[in-house]
Amino acid sequence: MKAFGKKYFRIALVGLLLFTALMVYSYNLRHSESTSFFERAVLRLSAPFQKSLETSREYVLDLKDHYLWLVDTAYENDRLKKENHRLRGELLRYEEIRLANERLRSLLKFVEEAGLEAVPAQVIAEDSTSWFRTVVIDKGLEDGIGEGMAVVVPEGVVGRVIRSSDGESRVLLITDASSAAAALVQRTRTRGVCRGRGERLVLEFALREDDIQVDDRIITSGMGGVFPKGLLVGRVSNVERGQYGLFQNVVVEPVVDFSRLEEVLVLPGEQ
Amino acid sequence: MHLMVYFVLGLVFMLLQTTIIPWVVPTFFKPDMLLILVIYISLSESLLRGALLTYFLGTLHDVFAGAYLGLYGLVFLILFVAARAAMRWFDTENAPLLLALVFFGTILKGLLVLFALGLFADAGNVWPLIMKTIPTQAFASLIAAMMILVGASRLQKIFGPRWQVPGLQRMDSGHGF
Repeated sequence: MKAFGKKYFRIALVGLLLFTALMVYSYNLRHSESTSFFERAVLRLSAPFQKSLETSREYVLDLKDHYLWLVDTAYENDRLKKENHRLRGELLRYEEIRLANERLRSLLKFVEEAGLEAVPAQVIAEDSTSWFRTVVIDKGLEDGIGEGMAVVVPEGVVGRVIRSSDGESRVLLITDASSAAAALVQRTRTRGVCRGRGERLVLEFALREDDIQVDDRIITSGMGGVFPKGLLVGRVSNVERGQYGLFQNVVVEPVVDFSRLEEVLVLPGEQ
Repeated sequence: MHLMVYFVLGLVFMLLQTTIIPWVVPTFFKPDMLLILVIYISLSESLLRGALLTYFLGTLHDVFAGAYLGLYGLVFLILFVAARAAMRWFDTENAPLLLALVFFGTILKGLLVLFALGLFADAGNVWPLIMKTIPTQAFASLIAAMMILVGASRLQKIFGPRWQVPGLQRMDSGHGF
């Protein structure tokens, strides 16, 4: 009898835990705009590891690109050849630095031209699932970054900050299914809402009779208060108008290559 | 296994999943390392301890996935209960069972995420994205689980042949691979 009671007590406890889990999830849906203590602690704990892994990756890539082929010729190691390879490696490394410099210059130019206040940040990790589109950047509350701030690159819109801890933040990419940005067609000023679809975007609420053509540029409208007006979101890649219905189906190809995101800019003034 | 080992493994798997794995495999083929750990816990830990551990791992997953804290805590807990229910009919010291549970667990996880998002959250049109990647992710998780089992079994042989790690002894004797 005692064992029977104990068994059901355990099952009841797990049931209670399931109910609590549901409540926690439901509570957080209502309070999703703020970062919880747990999230801050985990982000803070994991950031040094993620940063060092990112640095290690760069080192390994550097090693692979510049030095690995030396292994085959290791036995012919005459001093001049080694010196030559070392210098080549250095040259390639400088090339990498020059490319990084170019990217940063382009970011800086973009900030100056747009007259925006911006904090540069580096992408250090990606979303842990295939179903959501988020990245972790190496700047947080200590750098003046908070939830709701817009994240951009010179090519266009990246997303917005959804979680911030002291030294790092998580960014919800514009391609995530839960992401939406007020947008307009640059040529015709047709308004709509750009929603994420994984790799692509769709322009919702564009009226059926509105003139939208393939290759039209989609820019942010400035409505909603997250993104400043006029930032490029993408280009129209497909337009479908059915015989019925109020709206047309507009597919937008993002201008930003999200698989190659390295440096980004956070716009603190656009919260 | 000691609680601390699970915590460290959870963190290591999480780091792998957010840094190294995305560099080497495409997004649609990303395995779910934490799910493998959850399935292992459901086969080897007690009900209460396993449930609490699973919920913690799910919440850890939430910090690095999507924008809904608590989603994976809930989903992992349901998966844990489902795996516990399934193991009544099987030999738990059996590697193919773990692999099968990982494969079907990934599919169930996708469906549970869809259900939880559809029912409670305003997650947009996420279902085509999830449905499209469920099969490839299930295969990726299966391959990752096989690699972990083989690797863990070899490591145990080298570093701790007398360690009693649930599920690993039987594989050595030919029940697994």
